[in-house]
Amino acid sequence: MSSGIPIGEIASRTLRALEGEGYEAAVLVEAEKSLMIKLARGEISVTQSWNSLRTHVYVAKNKRMGVYTSTSPEPWRDLLESARLLSFAEESPLYAPLPEPTGASLSRVDEKIVEAVDTGDASFVIEDLELDNVGDAAGMVLLEHNVKHLVTSAGADLSHESTRFNGYLRVFRGSASGQWSWTSTVYEPATAKRAIGQAIELAEECAKLPRTKIEGGEYRILLGPMVAGNLLGEVVEAASAGMVLFGMSFLHSAKVGERVASEKLTIEDRPRDTSLPNFRGFDDEGVATQDKPIIERGEFKGFLHNSKTARVMKASSTGNAGWLIPTAFNIHVGAGDLKSTDILEALYDGVYITNNWYTRFQNYLEGEFSTVSRDAVIIVKRGEPAGCVERIRIADKLPRILSNIEDLSRDRWPIQWWEVRLPTLTPFVLIARARLSVAGP
Amino acid sequence: MRASAWDYDETVLERIVAEMQSAGASYAEARLHLLETTAITIMNGAVVNIGRERRWGAAYRAIADGGLGFASETLHIEGKPTVDAGKRAVAAARTSARLVRSKVSLGPARLGRATYQVVPRRPFEDVSLDEKIALLKGIAGEFLVERGSFRVQSIVLVYREMVEEKLLVTSDGALVRSRIPRVSIFYNVAAKSDRGRANRWFMIGGSGGLEVVEAEKLRSHLSSDVESLYVNLVKAEASPKGVMDVVVSPEIAGIMAHEASGHPSEADRILGREAAQAGMSFRTTYKGRLIGSRYVTVIDDPTIPGSYGFYLYDDEGVAARPRILYKNGELNEMLHNRETAAIYGVESNGAARAMDYRSEPIIRMSNTYIAPGDHKFDELIEDVRMGIYISKYMEWNIDDIRWGQRYGALEAYLILNGRIEKPVRGAVLEGTTRELFSSVDAVSRDLKFYSGTCGKGEPPQGVPVWMGGPYMRLRGVRVR
Repeated sequence: MSSGIPIGEIASRTLRALEGEGYEAAVLVEAEKSLMIKLARGEISVTQSWNSLRTHVYVAKNKRMGVYTSTSPEPWRDLLESARLLSFAEESPLYAPLPEPTGASLSRVDEKIVEAVDTGDASFVIEDLELDNVGDAAGMVLLEHNVKHLVTSAGADLSHESTRFNGYLRVFRGSASGQWSWTSTVYEPATAKRAIGQAIELAEECAKLPRTKIEGGEYRILLGPMVAGNLLGEVVEAASAGMVLFGMSFLHSAKVGERVASEKLTIEDRPRDTSLPNFRGFDDEGVATQDKPIIERGEFKGFLHNSKTARVMKASSTGNAGWLIPTAFNIHVGAGDLKSTDILEALYDGVYITNNWYTRFQNYLEGEFSTVSRDAVIIVKRGEPAGCVERIRIADKLPRILSNIEDLSRDRWPIQWWEVRLPTLTPFVLIARARLSVAGP
Repeated sequence: MRASAWDYDETVLERIVAEMQSAGASYAEARLHLLETTAITIMNGAVVNIGRERRWGAAYRAIADGGLGFASETLHIEGKPTVDAGKRAVAAARTSARLVRSKVSLGPARLGRATYQVVPRRPFEDVSLDEKIALLKGIAGEFLVERGSFRVQSIVLVYREMVEEKLLVTSDGALVRSRIPRVSIFYNVAAKSDRGRANRWFMIGGSGGLEVVEAEKLRSHLSSDVESLYVNLVKAEASPKGVMDVVVSPEIAGIMAHEASGHPSEADRILGREAAQAGMSFRTTYKGRLIGSRYVTVIDDPTIPGSYGFYLYDDEGVAARPRILYKNGELNEMLHNRETAAIYGVESNGAARAMDYRSEPIIRMSNTYIAPGDHKFDELIEDVRMGIYISKYMEWNIDDIRWGQRYGALEAYLILNGRIEKPVRGAVLEGTTRELFSSVDAVSRDLKFYSGTCGKGEPPQGVPVWMGGPYMRLRGVRVR
């Protein structure tokens, strides 16, 4: 993809250079071309285009570890110099030898995306998504082509190629707004238009409904997929063994099989789902990725590990490296029983929160957090929308939210945006009781 | 010798800018941007990683047919910036022009032709990596303490030393070369007692060298934070709730200055350019100018020596200066780049910053603070009959127009009859920007700064900032 040295050769030469000085190493070379159209007030505010080649290495010697990155065209020079920093380090308590490679290359690309980022022309997106027709709106559309090559001292020699079609739109109708997002490996205008349609519908609905106010207190709440993606993404992050070791996980003492959520909830890491753009056949250590539950019918199924956290916590790698911190790839939240047509009826009397941001933990270890709503927040009375409110917060504990899940929708939405960094296929989530607070008039 | 922006031949960029103009750009800009970081991560007294990252690449912006385009590249073709990448910015601008009703233009500005650098008092090299590691480990180890049921479970400490170099050339004459070293220490302390668990994260940062993170400063912050966790988890009793007087520390004043004054004063937000990401601003529709009491003056100043958000020219080449965002309780200046300045018919005040070569310059804060007054801290307390003093926060958040906000206390104390009494836990100060700033009836003569990384943009950009202020007394505000 780059017009210089092929990335497989960059990876091999870098590995050889590092091994030549006695380092154990993993080398991941990433070439990326992408285009992003950014909208504001119904116009394109900027179009951005990236073309990059980055080489990341993990090196170890005498159980000392380091992770280094270079953007140079012949990165082995830089990286060898960086690796020499290891002589100042000491044995890392996290060290484990690089594992035998079990992963296999896995690729899926959409040629339309590849061509667009190669030529730098994404103007077809404007017509396909009818962006000139949505009125007052802000958001972005991203097209990305990514090629990776991994080699390790343990023998991995693996490649990966993928594309991404991701975006979100926040639509304004007067002082009301609605936002929705989409993500996919392939260019599917219909998926994007369905999401944009949701954003328009929410904005128009709130523009029609009376503005109302609520008091802080405990409510039945319905989380739209954008909110569910954000909060359940925090749960997945807390399931990373690295976050446990770093003292930042409310799941720190969870045991496999322990009930941590309502039995309605299942969350899986699905790296092998090639319809979501973070699919991978191998992790950063070359271990085969695997689809796996994190929470299954409310029971905790285990932490996400790389070989290092696995050694410290006496477990096995789950194929989720991250050289230092294990990470999920694609998240699936299991569907529930609620038909989309019945969902407000199921909420009956409560608050439907369609989007949120600024999720902050007051206490990581106890999962105590608050998050701020934005866009449409719909008050539902007797199963019908009765008004819209602004500026509310969910201020509660994640374990309590998880336990209070009453049901989820059958329909699921592929979400990825600012506040949902991993591609997440999620339904609506109905919570029987959650604490809301309101910040002033 | 390794290439850097500090000594790069500017004629290479000038040629690319000229080619971009030949390709149809009415404005063209090229920036070489290097960010070199070395990081040491220590967990519970042991080194878990020594990392180094060298982000080195070029960024280009163009205006063509009234649209704005941005392109960036790593220098992976012969290690040099390319005309092709510059032309991609022009093509991107033409894509933008397909859906533009009001054409982008840049206002006049005081453009620099300048070279500047921050010279550290104690260069990074003055202390070997060995010594740095030994020092950091030693200090972190001192605070893995137990007191009764209270135990510090983990301390993760990340030391970073960075050098940022930029060379900027624009088609209308800016030529700015800069070199700014920065250093920071971030830490997270997790603790527990038989009453629960809590954590505290904190960052010390500034521009310059090792003088920013002297050992005694780190030791003193860690000591104070471990004590705060102890107080919260062992000694504190439930906070009173309701409407009361609240005295806040410079740490809380700083985060309020940043979140409730700085962000809503960003002109791109006010115009809706960040509406789907970092959000909007109450200033878009706000009626009148009054936002607080006459004791509230908020300043954003990139020129403070040694500050984490220091710069003298922004990433459009405009000379930096202090900006008074709120003046004696009234809305005042906005933060501008050249595009928003043109829309408002003013001159840019130099607030365009880009995180790295992959980032377009957008409007950002630098060092934002509430101006100090003339009270002593004790004087703020002695006039409170019943209220609380909030010293440190654990968590905060604010809505996307920067109006409703909350600050959850890590360390707070009951104030009774003008005296600080017992510690309390669970206090959350909540209110709107106008409520909170209007309730300020006195500010102290102190001014302290705190470091942070401010996020904005798409893809998200984190830039170093300071936030600060004095002790402030707020009358009759809500504590939940």
